[in-house]
Amino acid sequence: MSVIEVAGLRKAYGERIVVDDVSFSVEQGEIFGVLGPNGAGKTTMVECIGGLRQRDGGTIHVAGMDPAEEGVAFRNALGIQLQESRLPDKMRVGEALELYASFYPRPHAPDDLLERLGLGEQRDTYFAKLSGGQKQRLSVALALVGNPKVAILDELTTGLDPAARHDVWDLLEELRSTGVTLLLVSHFMEEAERLCDRVIVVDRGRIIAADTPEGLAANVVADQRMSFVPSESFDPAILESLPDVHAVVSSGERVTVTGTDNVASAVIIALHERGISVGRLRVDQPSLDDAFVALTGASDAARRAARPAAR
Amino acid sequence: MLVSEARLLARNPGVVIWTVILPVAASIVLASIPAIRAPSTSLGGLSYFQIYQPILIFFTMTLLAMQALPDVLTRYREMGVLKRLRTTPVSPALLLFAQLALILSIAIVCMAVMVVVPALVGSDWPRNPVGFVLAYVLGAWAMLGIGLVLASSFHNAKVAAGLGSFLFFVLQFLAGLWLPRPNMPSWLRHISDFTPSGSAVQSLTDASFGHWPSTLHLIVLAVWGVLASRLAVRLFSWE
Repeated sequence: MSVIEVAGLRKAYGERIVVDDVSFSVEQGEIFGVLGPNGAGKTTMVECIGGLRQRDGGTIHVAGMDPAEEGVAFRNALGIQLQESRLPDKMRVGEALELYASFYPRPHAPDDLLERLGLGEQRDTYFAKLSGGQKQRLSVALALVGNPKVAILDELTTGLDPAARHDVWDLLEELRSTGVTLLLVSHFMEEAERLCDRVIVVDRGRIIAADTPEGLAANVVADQRMSFVPSESFDPAILESLPDVHAVVSSGERVTVTGTDNVASAVIIALHERGISVGRLRVDQPSLDDAFVALTGASDAARRAARPAAR
Repeated sequence: MLVSEARLLARNPGVVIWTVILPVAASIVLASIPAIRAPSTSLGGLSYFQIYQPILIFFTMTLLAMQALPDVLTRYREMGVLKRLRTTPVSPALLLFAQLALILSIAIVCMAVMVVVPALVGSDWPRNPVGFVLAYVLGAWAMLGIGLVLASSFHNAKVAAGLGSFLFFVLQFLAGLWLPRPNMPSWLRHISDFTPSGSAVQSLTDASFGHWPSTLHLIVLAVWGVLASRLAVRLFSWE
C-alpha cells in the first residue's frame, strides 16, 4: 500500500517554476530518498507534501489524506524535521521534547528518544547552548516524538560529525523495523546508499532519475577506476593502446587507470605479459556520488546546449 | 503550553521588568507625595494623582500589549519556532492564547499593585470597583487585540518593535500622558474619545470617581477589541 502518493505536483514562485510535474509513490515502511543539488526544489517539494506550502497543481496523498487540508489527523500521522527551524533559546532539551510530546495522542517516551539520540546528558541544557549536531538530533527527536506513520527528514545529517551521523543512521535503521515510512531529503550520497530503499534524483524541479541506489549507480556510464604501484616503471603507451583503457595518469610511483568494466583484468594481464607485477591494487566501483555528478552534470550540459537554440 | 511559555518568560524577564517597574514605581511615588494627592482647581477639583493613576495603569497595559506581546511572537516567527509548531497537531490559537493569558495576568497584577499600594499610603480606592474592572477588561481586550495584530502580521521582530513603540507613543499621547484629557482642546479630546487608550483611561477615571464609564467609551473599546482580534486571527501567518 502506498503511504505517500504524489502525482503531477507543481509549484511556482511567481514566474519561477520550482517543482515541475513530479510524481512518485512511497510504500509503507520504505525509506525513500529525495536527492538533488542545492536549489533543486527538494525542500519546496517536501514542504508541499508536509502541508506547509500550497501546491499549484497535482495531487498529494499522505496516509490517505490531502496535506492541503492540514487536518489534525494529518498532523498526527506525519512528523517533519525542518531544515531551518529553531526553538526558543531558553528552552531546555527535555522540556522541548515533553512539550511536543504533549501535542500528540500517543507519543513516544521522551526519555527513551533522548537516550537513543545521544542527548541524555543534554536534557537540562538550553537550546541556545547546544552544538549544531545536538540541535539536529533534537530536531529529529521532535519529528519522531509523536510516533508518526510517516516522517519527513530534511537534510537531517547536515552539519553532524561522522560519529553523530552514524548514530542517527543507526536510529533510522531501527525505526525501519517499526514500520514507519521515512522520506529522506539529502544531498549526501553515502546516507542514501546506506539507508534508502529507493531514491529519486531531482534537478531544477524535475525528477531526472528514479531507482534503487545500487541501480542508479550501475546504470550511469561512469568509468571504472583502478590504481596500483607497478614493480618496475613502464611505458604508459603499453596500457593506452589497450581498447578497455581510457586514460593513464601516474603520480609518484602510483599509476591510475580509468576505463571500461574490464579495465582491471586487461591491465593486469598486459603488464603480467611483460613481467611487471601489480602491487597495492585498488579498484573503485562507480558510486552513487559518481552517478549523481554524472546525472546532474548531464542535465546541466543539456541545458547549456538547449539555451543557444532557444535564442 | 501555558506552563512552558511562562517558564520561558520567567527566564527572559528583561522586557517585562522594564515595562512593569517604571509605571508601578511612578504611581507609588506620586501617591506618596501629599501635594499630588491634593485636589487641584485647574483640573476641575481632581488631584493630579487621580488623573494620572488611570493613565499609569494603562501605560503598563499599552507597553505590555505593544512591546512584550509582539516581541515574543514575531521573534518566534523569525526563528522558525512557529513553523516548527505548525508541523504538529497543535493549533496556533493555543500559542496565542497562552501568550495572551500570560501578558494579561502580568498586567492585572500590575494594575492591582497600582491600585492597592497607593490606597494604603493614603490615596483613594476606585469608588466604582465594578465599573473600574469593566473598563479595565474592555480596555485590555482592545489593547491586546492591537498588540496581537502586530504580533500576527510581522516577520521581523525589529520592525514590529519599532511600530509598537510608535503606536505606544501615539496611544499614550491620546490617553493624556503628557497632556491630561481634561486639559486637551475639545477637538483633540474628541479624537481621543474614539481611540482605545483615550476611552479606556477616561472610563477608568470615571469609575475611580464612582461614576459609570460612559456608554460611548465602552462601545468604542468593545469595537476596537472585536475588530483587532478578528484582524489578528485573519492576518496570522506561520512564517
